[in-house]
Amino acid sequence: MDDIYDLRSIFLGKDSLVSSLITSAVEGTALEDSASDLSFLVGTFAVVNIVFLMLFFSQFGILWIERKAAARMHDRRGATTALRSLWVGENGVTAGEWWKMLPFGGGIVGAINKFLNKRFGNRDPKNPTVDRVNNRSWMGYSILPGFFQNVADGMKFLLKEHMVPRRADKLIFEVSPFLIVSSTLLILGIIPLSSGIYATNPDLSILYAIAIFGIAPIGVFFAGWSSNNKYTLIGGIRSAAQLTAYEIPLLLTLLSVAILSGTFNIIESIHFQHAAGSWNLFLMPLGAVLFLVTMIAEVERVPFDMPEAEAELVEGWWTEYGGMRFGMLFMAEYIRTYAACFLFTHFFLGGWHLPFQGTISQIPVLGDAYVLIPGALVVLLKTWLVFLVVFVWARFSLARIRTDQILEFGWRMLLPLAVVQVILSVVYRLYLFQPDNMSYTAEGGNAWDAWGIPMFIPIATTVLWLAVFYVLLNDEDKDAAPDRMYHVHTLQAAGTHIPGKD
Amino acid sequence: MAQMWITMGPQHPMTHGLWTLRVKVDGETVVDTEAELGYIHRGVEKICEARDFTQITPYCDRLCYVSAMTWANSYIYAAEDLLEAEVPARAEYIRLISAEIQRLASHLMWLGAFGPDIGNLTLMTWCMRDREMFLDLLQELGGSRMHYNYPRIGGVKRDMPVGFADRVIAKTKLFEKRLDEYEMMLDQSTIWLVRLQGVGYANAESMVDAGVSGPNVRAAGVNYDVRWAHPYSVYDEIDWEPSVEKPTSVKGADCFDRYRVRMEEMRQSCRMVLDALNKIPGGKNTNYASGDEMILTKAPTRAPEGATGFSNYECTRGASQFHVQGGGEGRGKNPYRVSIRSPMFITIPYVAKTMIGYKIADIPAIMGSFDPCIGETDR
Repeated sequence: MDDIYDLRSIFLGKDSLVSSLITSAVEGTALEDSASDLSFLVGTFAVVNIVFLMLFFSQFGILWIERKAAARMHDRRGATTALRSLWVGENGVTAGEWWKMLPFGGGIVGAINKFLNKRFGNRDPKNPTVDRVNNRSWMGYSILPGFFQNVADGMKFLLKEHMVPRRADKLIFEVSPFLIVSSTLLILGIIPLSSGIYATNPDLSILYAIAIFGIAPIGVFFAGWSSNNKYTLIGGIRSAAQLTAYEIPLLLTLLSVAILSGTFNIIESIHFQHAAGSWNLFLMPLGAVLFLVTMIAEVERVPFDMPEAEAELVEGWWTEYGGMRFGMLFMAEYIRTYAACFLFTHFFLGGWHLPFQGTISQIPVLGDAYVLIPGALVVLLKTWLVFLVVFVWARFSLARIRTDQILEFGWRMLLPLAVVQVILSVVYRLYLFQPDNMSYTAEGGNAWDAWGIPMFIPIATTVLWLAVFYVLLNDEDKDAAPDRMYHVHTLQAAGTHIPGKD
Repeated sequence: MAQMWITMGPQHPMTHGLWTLRVKVDGETVVDTEAELGYIHRGVEKICEARDFTQITPYCDRLCYVSAMTWANSYIYAAEDLLEAEVPARAEYIRLISAEIQRLASHLMWLGAFGPDIGNLTLMTWCMRDREMFLDLLQELGGSRMHYNYPRIGGVKRDMPVGFADRVIAKTKLFEKRLDEYEMMLDQSTIWLVRLQGVGYANAESMVDAGVSGPNVRAAGVNYDVRWAHPYSVYDEIDWEPSVEKPTSVKGADCFDRYRVRMEEMRQSCRMVLDALNKIPGGKNTNYASGDEMILTKAPTRAPEGATGFSNYECTRGASQFHVQGGGEGRGKNPYRVSIRSPMFITIPYVAKTMIGYKIADIPAIMGSFDPCIGETDR
C-alpha cells in the first residue's frame, strides 16, 4: 500500500506546483515546448537532494545510537565532553578567553559562549569539583546528550593534516578513498524511505545495490596496496580474500528474496510483502539470519573486521590515511552499515508498513490514525532498531574471528545454507503461495493461508525455525572434551615448534 | 610465496608496553620471530645501590605498573631476610590481603587488555570498571592509586583504615558475581573459544626448562605455585589451593588454558582475601595507630658486608626473586648489590618462539595470554 506522504508527486506529478509554476513561467517563450522536460529536471533535482539529505542526516542517528548503546553495554557514560571542553567550559570557567583571538575581537562569540555557560553550565554551583570529575555539564543534560560529538569528530578530522607516505603510489592512494566514498554514496540513490520518497527506482534495484556494494572492496584493496605499508598490504589482501566467502552467500540470499517476491525491485518487493499478507522475515528466518551475517562481513564490522583488525594490523588497510580522508572512509563505513540496515528493513521487515497495517487500517477511526504515521518515519525507526539490535549488539559482545575461520565459515556453512534457502524459496513460491489471494489494497491479501487457517505458513515457518535454533543452541554436550583443532595447513604444523629444542 | 619481516613495535597495539616483536611472515603464517627488549631500561638495580633500604621500596613499586604491591612486597621479604627483621602476624595478614587485592587488579588489567587483543572491546571497559574497585581499596591503604609504597621493613606503613574490611568483603563478593558474568560472555561465545582453543600451545617441559613460571606453567599442568610450594607470609595458614589447569593436549597449554587458570586464580584470590579477614589477629575492625607494634616493628637499618637476603615471591606473572647484598655505601646503610629476577624477562622471548606456525591474527592472542608486562621485563 502506498504511503500517503508522497514527495515525488509534489514535485514530479502532472499538475504539481513545480510543474504549473514552470509552465506558466515559460508560457509564450521559446522554451514553451520543453516545459515538461524543465519541470521534470527541476523536480528531480529537488527530490534527489531532499532524499539524499534526509538519508544523510538521519545517519547521524545511528552514530548516536551506537555511541549511547556502546556506553550502556560497556557500562560507562558516553564520551560527551570533547566539544564542551573546547567551547563552553564548565561552571563559569572556560578554557581561557579564547574568542579574543578571533578576528574582529570575537565579542559576539564570547557573549554567546558566556550565555551558554551561564544558562546550560553545571546546575549545581555548590559542587564544582565533583561535577568536573563526573564530567557533568550542559552536554550531559540536554535533549540529545552527546549528539554533537560527531560534529566535534568531524571538525577534528578536517583540521588534521593529510599526508601521503613516502614511496607510496600517490595516484592510487589518492583515488581509492574517492572510489570507496563515491560508490558508497551511490547506494543511497536507490534506497526508498517510503513509496513516494526515493531518489530513483531502477527496475533491477536489488542487483544494482549488490553491484554497488561490491565496488568498495576494490578500493579497499587499492588503498591497502598503494600505501607502501605492510599492515595495509595485509589488510587489503585479507579484504580481497574474505570477499568471496561472504559475497556468494549474500547474492544467493538476495536471490531467494527475489524468488519469493517475484521481483528484482526493492519497492515492488515491499509492496509484495503487504499484498501477500506477511513480512518476509516470517517466511524465511534463515534467509534473514544469513543476510545479517553476510552483511556484517560486507561492511567489515566485528566479528568480521579482519581487514582492519586493530590488535595485530594497527588499523588495517586504512592505517596510512589521515585527516578528512580517514573521516570520509569512516563515514563511508557507517553509510554502508546504514544501507545494510535499510535493505534488511525493506527485504524482511516490510519497509514502510506498520505492523498489522492491513488489519488495523480497517478499524474505523483508529485505522485512519494508524496510517497517518509517516512511512519514512517507520522505515527509519525499523532501520535504527535493526542497527541497534544486530549490528551494535554483535559488535560489542563478540570477538573477532580469524581470516581462515571466516573462509571456512563462509564456504562450509553460509554457502550450503544459502543454497538451502534458495530451494526453500522456490518451494514456497511454487507450492505454498496462492497468487489468487494477493491484494494490492489497503487491507492487504492473505496469500499465505493454508487449509483455511489464516497466516498458517508464516506462523508455522517461524515456529519451526525457532525450534531448530533452540535445539541447536541447547544440544551441546557439556561433558564432551572440547575439540581443539586448528584447521590450517602450514609448512610447519602449528604448535609443534618447541622453543629451545632446535 | 615471498616472505617478509614485519616489525611490530615499539608502538603497536599488540605489545602491551614498549618492545618490538619482529615477525617473519609467509602470507598470513608466522615462520620466524625475534623479540627485542630494553626500550624502557631504567637501571633500577643500579639506582638501588645509592638508596638506603627503606628508600628502595618506591622503586620496586615502579617495576611493574599494574602490580606494584606484589613487587614491593617481594623486595621487602628479601630486605627482611637480610636485616633479620621480625614481622608481626597482623602485618603479614595485611600484606597478604593487599597482595591478593593487587593480584585481582593485575589479572583484571590482563583480562581487560586481552579482550581487545581478540577483538572484544567491552571486556576492557568491564575490567577497568571492576579494577577501579580494587584500586580504590589499595588507595585507602597506600594513599595513591598505582604506586603505594605501603609495606615497610618490619611490617606495613599503617593499619587498615576504618571500615576497610567491610568494603573489601562487599567488593569481593560483588566481584565474584561479576566473574560469573564474564564467563557468561566469554566461555559461552563460540568465537571466543575458536580464537583461543588450539592456539598457542606451550609445552610444560620446555616452559620449565626455559624458566617460565606462574600462571603460565600452571596452565600446562605444572603444580608449582611459590605460595603453595614454599609458603612465605601466612599463606600456609589460610584456606586456598593453587589453580592448576589440566591441559587437554599433549602439546601443552593453549591460550584457553591460560585464560582459565587466571580466571580461577581470581576466584582463589577472592577466597583468600575473605578468609584472611576472618583469621586476622587483632580482628578485622581494630584500628591501631601508625607504628604500633602490632603492625610495624623496629628493624635494623644497616647490613654488614657479606650478608645476603633472598626472597622468592609469587608475583602476578610468576616467581619474582630479589637478591640483596649488604655492606654498601654509608657503612652498610645501602645495599651493595640488588639483583632482580623478573618472570616476564624469561617468558617474552620464549613466547615469541611459540608463535611460529600460527597466523598473524594469533600473535596478539598468544602474546596477550601470557600477560606481558614490560616494566618489570626491562627494569
